[in-house]
Amino acid sequence: MDADTVIKVVVDKDLEDLIPVFMGNRHKELETLRAALAAADFEQLRQLGHRMRGVGNSYGFERISVFGKQVEDGARSGDRAGIEATIAEYREYLARVQVCYE
Amino acid sequence: MSELAAAVRRSPAAQSAFRVLVVDDDPDMATLLKRTIEKEGMAADTVYDGDAALVRAMSSPPDLIVLDVMLPGMSGFDICERLKGDEVTALIPIILVTSLEDSQSRVRGIEAGADDFLSKPVKVEELMARVKTLRRLHETRRELEARRLSAEVQRKEAIRRAFSRYISPRLAERIISDLREDGLPFDHHAQRISVVALFADLRGFTRLTETIEVDKVVAMLNEYFAVITEAAYRNDGTIFSMAGDCLLVGFNVPFPQADAAQRAWRTAEDMIAGFAPVLAGWTQGGGMPTGVGIGIAAGEAIIGNVGSPHHMSYTIIGDAVNTAARLMQMARAGELLVSGSVYDSIRALVPAGAAVSRGNVALRGKTEPTPVYSIELARPRTR
Repeated sequence: MDADTVIKVVVDKDLEDLIPVFMGNRHKELETLRAALAAADFEQLRQLGHRMRGVGNSYGFERISVFGKQVEDGARSGDRAGIEATIAEYREYLARVQVCYE
Repeated sequence: MSELAAAVRRSPAAQSAFRVLVVDDDPDMATLLKRTIEKEGMAADTVYDGDAALVRAMSSPPDLIVLDVMLPGMSGFDICERLKGDEVTALIPIILVTSLEDSQSRVRGIEAGADDFLSKPVKVEELMARVKTLRRLHETRRELEARRLSAEVQRKEAIRRAFSRYISPRLAERIISDLREDGLPFDHHAQRISVVALFADLRGFTRLTETIEVDKVVAMLNEYFAVITEAAYRNDGTIFSMAGDCLLVGFNVPFPQADAAQRAWRTAEDMIAGFAPVLAGWTQGGGMPTGVGIGIAAGEAIIGNVGSPHHMSYTIIGDAVNTAARLMQMARAGELLVSGSVYDSIRALVPAGAAVSRGNVALRGKTEPTPVYSIELARPRTR
């Protein structure tokens, strides 16, 4: 992923008022993922991944669902390195994502 | 743009009365589902855990529940089972939200009683199709239930109207409230209880009917029964039978009446007093020597429904009834005969000097003599 690339996501205008809260929750989620990984709490990681998978696509953020699936699968198999890489990607994604409304 | 988000733009249907409860521990997901459902013109509430879902569903049952499987504490399956096992919430349709590939969850959901399933990520068309289908089913079921209740009310009203011509309104209510699913009104086992029985009869009237026109006899009987049944109902008596010109009224049945004997006494007074103007009218129009004779006795009796499936009657059988019948047969027009135990109960109500002991009387069918008291309530009217 190019460090300068902006990732555009198109969201329905009617959801505009929900997006700030949604994005705020994603940043909190990122911190929770890091803490769970540091504690090697794979059950919590699995649950977090499952939730990301459900909520991401539903709001139009398909990548978040992909990250969620990776975390959920990694937690099931105990793939600590894989989850760590996904969390790093997720952080990059959140830093670059730009929401457009239409 | 996601399908779910796109649906938010669509205009609402006229579905405002339908209430959906969304249960999801992810506030973002719950908010989005709520908004999508509201955009379709339905009302939606959100709760974020199983305990809150149970409390909300039971205290204010919604019309539909969208329930996530993975929740902190109680799982969606547990909640589903609890709601389907409670009669207040058993009929509320539940859509369980599971993972697409999780077939085990679906099996578990079916076992828990879920009505339908939805996969995450949620596709709006699928969500709304399922919601609308369950709504239609729910409303059809509600409409059928309303029709069934309406028919049930009409049926009970018809029974009430039919019964109320023959029995006290209180007994009619009792029978209707005990109506069984199969529609048979009589379901009580016979029971033995203490009763006060009152027999009233138009003394000498049967003989007189031989010389009176048929239409006139019926009109006179209707006048007579209007007065004495009104007296029985006024004092909460239950009319067990009406045959010829004879009426049997029970007290302390089917509901306990601590003052059953006093009620029977007041009924006798009301019957005689109420009949006086009727008798006066008969006398003016070509009267006849008649009047109401009454017998009252207390004791045990068996209460039950006797008859066949085609014809049944709420019946009272026993010594008190037989004794009251014998006393009524002995009573002259305007006279009340009561057994000793009844007299003991009403003594304070009887005007001084109105009661005369007839001593111990050997009544037909009884081995022991019965103490009998005569109370003159009215003199027979003759032309």
